[in-house]
Amino acid sequence: MRSTYRVLAYLIAAEVVIQASAIAYAVFGLTKYIDDGAVVDKATQETGETFEGVVGFIVHGINGSTVIPAIALVLLVVSFFARIPGGVRWAGALVALVVLQVTLGMFAHGLPLLGALHGINALAVFAVAVVAGRRARSGPMRAASTTSTADRAVV
Amino acid sequence: MRAPRWLTSHRRWLAICLAAAIVVWPLGYFWASSLLPSSYSVTDMGYPDYGGGSRGGDQQGEMAGMAGMHRMPGMPSTPEMSSVSRSVETLTVGTDRPADVLVTLTARKQVFTLAGGRSVDGYTLNGTSPGPEIRALQGQLLEVRLINESVPDGITVHWHGLDVPNADDGVAGVTQNSVPVGGEFVYRFLLSQAGTYWYHSHQVSHEQVVGGLLGALVISPAAPAAAAADPGAVVDEIALAHIYDGRRTINGRDDDVPIQAPPGARVRVRIINTDNGAMLAWVAGAPFTLVAVDGTDLNEPGRLTDRAVQVTAGGRADLEIVQPADGSIVRVVLGGSNSLLLGSGGAPAGPVPAVGAAPEILDPLSYGAPAPLGLNPDAPDRSFDYSIGRRPGFVGGVPGLWWTINGHLFPDVPMFVVADGDVVRMRISNDSGEVHPMHLHGHHAVVVSRNGVPATGSPWWVDSLTVADGESYDIAFRADNPGIWMDHCHNLPHATQGLVAHLMYEGVTEPFLVGADTGNQPE
Repeated sequence: MRSTYRVLAYLIAAEVVIQASAIAYAVFGLTKYIDDGAVVDKATQETGETFEGVVGFIVHGINGSTVIPAIALVLLVVSFFARIPGGVRWAGALVALVVLQVTLGMFAHGLPLLGALHGINALAVFAVAVVAGRRARSGPMRAASTTSTADRAVV
Repeated sequence: MRAPRWLTSHRRWLAICLAAAIVVWPLGYFWASSLLPSSYSVTDMGYPDYGGGSRGGDQQGEMAGMAGMHRMPGMPSTPEMSSVSRSVETLTVGTDRPADVLVTLTARKQVFTLAGGRSVDGYTLNGTSPGPEIRALQGQLLEVRLINESVPDGITVHWHGLDVPNADDGVAGVTQNSVPVGGEFVYRFLLSQAGTYWYHSHQVSHEQVVGGLLGALVISPAAPAAAAADPGAVVDEIALAHIYDGRRTINGRDDDVPIQAPPGARVRVRIINTDNGAMLAWVAGAPFTLVAVDGTDLNEPGRLTDRAVQVTAGGRADLEIVQPADGSIVRVVLGGSNSLLLGSGGAPAGPVPAVGAAPEILDPLSYGAPAPLGLNPDAPDRSFDYSIGRRPGFVGGVPGLWWTINGHLFPDVPMFVVADGDVVRMRISNDSGEVHPMHLHGHHAVVVSRNGVPATGSPWWVDSLTVADGESYDIAFRADNPGIWMDHCHNLPHATQGLVAHLMYEGVTEPFLVGADTGNQPE
């Protein structure tokens, strides 16, 4: 369970990297498409296969709305079994941050400035995922020895 | 912090198992109940919504028993209705008179060459995509023989915007069975509405329409007054916009389309948006008039400069331009990417106007002058809500963020029940985070208000209506075309994601089935 927790936490961190990479690929593909003389409007946007990099938007959307929240929920369930000091709270924090991230992503379509927070919160998701993964990194004894300070920090 | 002692005992495991069951059991329940039967009738979907009107006697109990389709998987619909019940199949044109216009459409799945020269792997009708332009006169009877030569999933043809008899509406599994390879189907209907329309497959439509199984259909008035007075001065052009492989085309061409139009000529450009999102159209080099929306002429539309017209996905807009007397070229911009260039002669007269940025979008709510509607939207027989939202859940066993209708996920969506002759009012509201081009089959509805602001312009009759996120439209229509009609999002992938409901007339029965085992998959 401990290693499952660790793998899931790092998986979320890796997903954040994929998300950043995918959206950058998509945006650069989009600007090249426009530079080449094409026009994007709602009709072309809804068509899908328009330019190199459009897959980045699709990956970002599916990952962000479905895959990452699912991993975060599984991590939270696993955290109850993993006996990692503070593990439940870190997993819970990760779920909360992911929920915030999805919400920001959805509402940024109407209020683009929320997209700026979406970008910042992505780093928070990444950082918390890495911390959670590191807490599950070592054996039970060593983890127990670090418990008190870490828990104080959280509380 | 040390774990409490009880957590270390066997009670901890009990608590964990209990907690897991509390999480997993509802998830499993929602998953299982979202699974679609391999064959079902659309009339068994969801729950009936009578909109405050009559419940149609025996039908009420019958429908109530069907609420929640998952409880009766795979049951064909054979409601025992009163003696007036009619099957969808019987709702035809009702005349044996010979057709005035005969068309044969042969569908193929193939690699083909667009008019502009680009090669596309998709679908053709009579070897081309877009398919042949069908032009006819108001009052004529059109007969179309549809032959499926090689489209493996089967095909149908839906006459988008034409309020045809239900049996000719061309929706697989709702008004007919899809036409398999080697099969054929004959559509026959009267062309009572003059205007700009289009046709497209309504079987696996999110693929087949995108892939090119579509074409333009234009019905001219039987005796067009202006044309009769001065036929040489009228230019009538179709501009069918379709995106093939990510690039927009007009009538199959990637580049700008030159149109012969002498100085002083009145040019009617019939814009058809066959794609999944709205397209802006504007004119550079001359003022223009938006003379018709979705096939219906507007009343006293004013001249426009510095305005763009938003053409809804699936919708049409007819622009009229009077060519400048000095012979200069007029550019009709479609989506910013493509244009029609209106001018005379081989050599361009003067410079071609630039595309420019899209001007402010015209609001049809206050454009033109009011006119009698022929119905009173303030005294409806039925009032419905079609409220679009979005939430996490399962549709067809697949987890995701899915569209909801009145808070329910597909297929547990309302069935809007009406009686023949009812005046129906519907509030379409959207809080789903994305825009939805809503399309009601078989009827034209008039826009009454948007976000509570009443319409003050020309009657704005639509069959396809862009409802943006946060918007709410009140529309009204007369239920005068009995049948079972789709009422869905024309961003076709959204329809596959469950943004589909139906309008059903009392006493109409559904002989067709949809689902994996039926070969009918209208979305």
